[in-house]
Amino acid sequence: MILSSPFTASVAHHYEMPLSLRSFTSLNRALLSSSSPSSLLLRRSSLVPTMAASTTTTVSSTDAAPQLNQSTPSPPPVQVAKRLEKFKTTIFTQMSSLAIKHNAINLGQGFPNFDGPDFVKDAAIEAIKAGKNQYARGYGVPDLNSAIASRFQKDTGLIVDPEKEVTVTSGCTEAIAATILGLVNPGDEVVLFAPFYDSYEAVLSMAGANIKCITLRPPDFAVPLEELKSVVSANTKAIMINTPHNPTGKMFTREELEFIAQLCKENDVLVFTDEVYDKLSFEMDHISMASLPGMFNRTVTLNSLGKTFSLTGWKIGWAVAPPHLTWGVRQAHSFLTFATSTPMQFAAATALQTSDSYYEELKRDYLAKKAILVEGLEAVGFVVYPSSGTYFVVVDHTPFGFENDVAFCEHLIEEVGVVAIPTSVFYLNPEEGKNLVRFTFCKDEATLRGAVERMKHKLRKR
Amino acid sequence: MEGKVSRASRKLEASPIQELSQLAQTCGAINLAEGFPDFPAPPHLKAAALSAITADFNQYRHVQGICHLLATQMKGRHGIAVNALSDFVICCGQSEAFAASIFAIVDPGDEVLLFDPAYETYESCILLAGGIPVYVPLSPPDWSFKKDELMKYFTSRTKALVLNSPHNPTGKVFTRDELETISEACKIMECFAITDEVYEYITYDRELHISLASLPGMQERTIITSSLSKTFSVTGWRIGWACAPANIASAIRNIHVKITDSAPAPFQEAALTALQSPPDYYCSLRTEYEARRDYVVQILSVLGFQVRFKPKGSVFIFAELPDHCELSDIEFVKKLIEKAGVAAVPGCGFFHTTPQPQDGEKYQRRYIRFAFCKSGETLSAARQKMEQCVNEDGQLSF
Repeated sequence: MILSSPFTASVAHHYEMPLSLRSFTSLNRALLSSSSPSSLLLRRSSLVPTMAASTTTTVSSTDAAPQLNQSTPSPPPVQVAKRLEKFKTTIFTQMSSLAIKHNAINLGQGFPNFDGPDFVKDAAIEAIKAGKNQYARGYGVPDLNSAIASRFQKDTGLIVDPEKEVTVTSGCTEAIAATILGLVNPGDEVVLFAPFYDSYEAVLSMAGANIKCITLRPPDFAVPLEELKSVVSANTKAIMINTPHNPTGKMFTREELEFIAQLCKENDVLVFTDEVYDKLSFEMDHISMASLPGMFNRTVTLNSLGKTFSLTGWKIGWAVAPPHLTWGVRQAHSFLTFATSTPMQFAAATALQTSDSYYEELKRDYLAKKAILVEGLEAVGFVVYPSSGTYFVVVDHTPFGFENDVAFCEHLIEEVGVVAIPTSVFYLNPEEGKNLVRFTFCKDEATLRGAVERMKHKLRKR
Repeated sequence: MEGKVSRASRKLEASPIQELSQLAQTCGAINLAEGFPDFPAPPHLKAAALSAITADFNQYRHVQGICHLLATQMKGRHGIAVNALSDFVICCGQSEAFAASIFAIVDPGDEVLLFDPAYETYESCILLAGGIPVYVPLSPPDWSFKKDELMKYFTSRTKALVLNSPHNPTGKVFTRDELETISEACKIMECFAITDEVYEYITYDRELHISLASLPGMQERTIITSSLSKTFSVTGWRIGWACAPANIASAIRNIHVKITDSAPAPFQEAALTALQSPPDYYCSLRTEYEARRDYVVQILSVLGFQVRFKPKGSVFIFAELPDHCELSDIEFVKKLIEKAGVAAVPGCGFFHTTPQPQDGEKYQRRYIRFAFCKSGETLSAARQKMEQCVNEDGQLSF
């Protein structure tokens, strides 16, 4: 057969080498300016207007590392696609390289510094030994599709067909990309809640969507219902939800979900819901939009293995959706990556079949870590917003007297030796995030305590 | 709610290939259709992957060492000097590297040239990016193209040309002459080239794979994509890469980060071992595949297929149906599965152009692609099964 098939939020990544040698403060300027002159040279062919959202932050050619070989002729003008206007070099890369330089404790990157459970790793090892090293079925190894369907049923009460309603992807990041590229047309209106995980905006602009953004505000980041209602119409294609929410830790309440559901049913709108942190729900029960009456048929539920099983580098994610939506997701997926890592899929099936005690222990561990971080941050003098889920906490840094989040984070790395993420990158309008920074507690307790100690001793109000 | 599916993905239809592969499964046919091995991955590679998992290389990673090893290989084999720090993007397979490259450079309305027949995924990526695929036909039986003809396919909207060599499905390896023609055209028209070189180590008869980027003036406009999959028989590990000048690699990387963010971590570690395989490994790879190629060419010839072009590379042979056979390729493969219990791929799915008058009208329905990346036992069993269905001339007949 021809190799085609029918049918997280991952937040930080660790680059061992910096991608750019630009200083952090110039990044600051690039992030906060609303537009910068484009160094993309225009081709002589006609320009096709882009339908991306109106805020522009362009990638300048100085983002790239300088060529080491000076004698090669200068390359042709960078003729990259206009969709790249939304694709900045990510903040996480910049922060990670600065962190290394200053030997800072990294509470910015959203992945654990401890490893996944042995029983899952052993399953991957067995799969490799047993020769499961060739292309898997494009939309997932049958065992994994079944395990995902079973887990979904336990979690939501919904019975889904593993063959027709489950698609396995390279991480939830790819599930998001496949969902948007498979289901959204250029010009379609999509509602997004800010702050948002950075791939949503980027991929929506790749799809040429028209983004309508609703900002969630402290202290409780509640959904502004009337504002949402005013933005949703018969022209709306989809609403994107992330619950539990990165970066704020907010969890969408039943009332909020029911309100959104009502709007969707009235206006025939789809929901794309990213639920990678569903097992890290602490202050309330996680509710899946798909489980609300009348919603399964218009919802794509996205999830992954990485956060729940501390194996973020395995890249096993999935989308659960009714067949008519799954079709689009699978189409896009088959041309994005074609198939997902085979041995890891077998191991993921084993992981998902584990008993509930695993999840209970996971929660207990994370609650303990959260307590260390939150108590520490409060003692140091931050305004700490309550986080109901995920392994993130956002805080207001303004008591320390810095003009914005990027400046604060820079200071925190250089003078205190701790990394946090400036949240302005998670907003369409960076100004809206300038008072907030995000810390993560997916680190071992010693690391968390170490970071808190550093802040207690070295972080001073200006 | 079918209306909810994006226009772009709706253009991409399920192919008759899927039905045939269902049929093959139902009949328990020997699968010479799929382009992946049924023999095990090299032990030293598997061991490296196991070590990586045990040693906790399981979180998001970018293993820079891969880039250094690849850079060394490119310099040594092709004389291309690349910057390991800035010119590489490690992706989930060549599939993702290609998709990310297309999204990095193709705007809606841009034209992208492809040689026909072509692996069907290229077109889908281009369409998803809003681009327009333009096909340059390769003429049977040797899948050549005319120098002066090539330029006619370029327009002011041409953004890139895709070159897959060694070539799926024909097994063609583009010659230096052909590469020079292509490179001249790209330079005159100031467009990119995106190469798919996944079969780069699988060439025969002492034919060497030449990387388009090694030609004068090409490195600065070429995006090279390749992977571990075919060279190391690990198609399920999803480790591939794109290599391009820093500015372009940066653009590709920015897209990749939004599509998957990271290739599977433990397999990136294992890639370090793979890419340090001794020259012996590559020699055996070639020798063993060449033996398989020769075997399959011989069987198919004896069975009446017209093998007018012996593959110079890749793991495929694109054989023409026997002269006397009146069936189309799809009909033939259906019979091959049902009666002989062997599955192959009808060639029509690879063709996208209207046949040129000089090539005859029907050739696009006359080819079958057989994969020979299979163990000796499998190939031998396939031969025996097909031999059950021959007529008195010893030719396969249904």
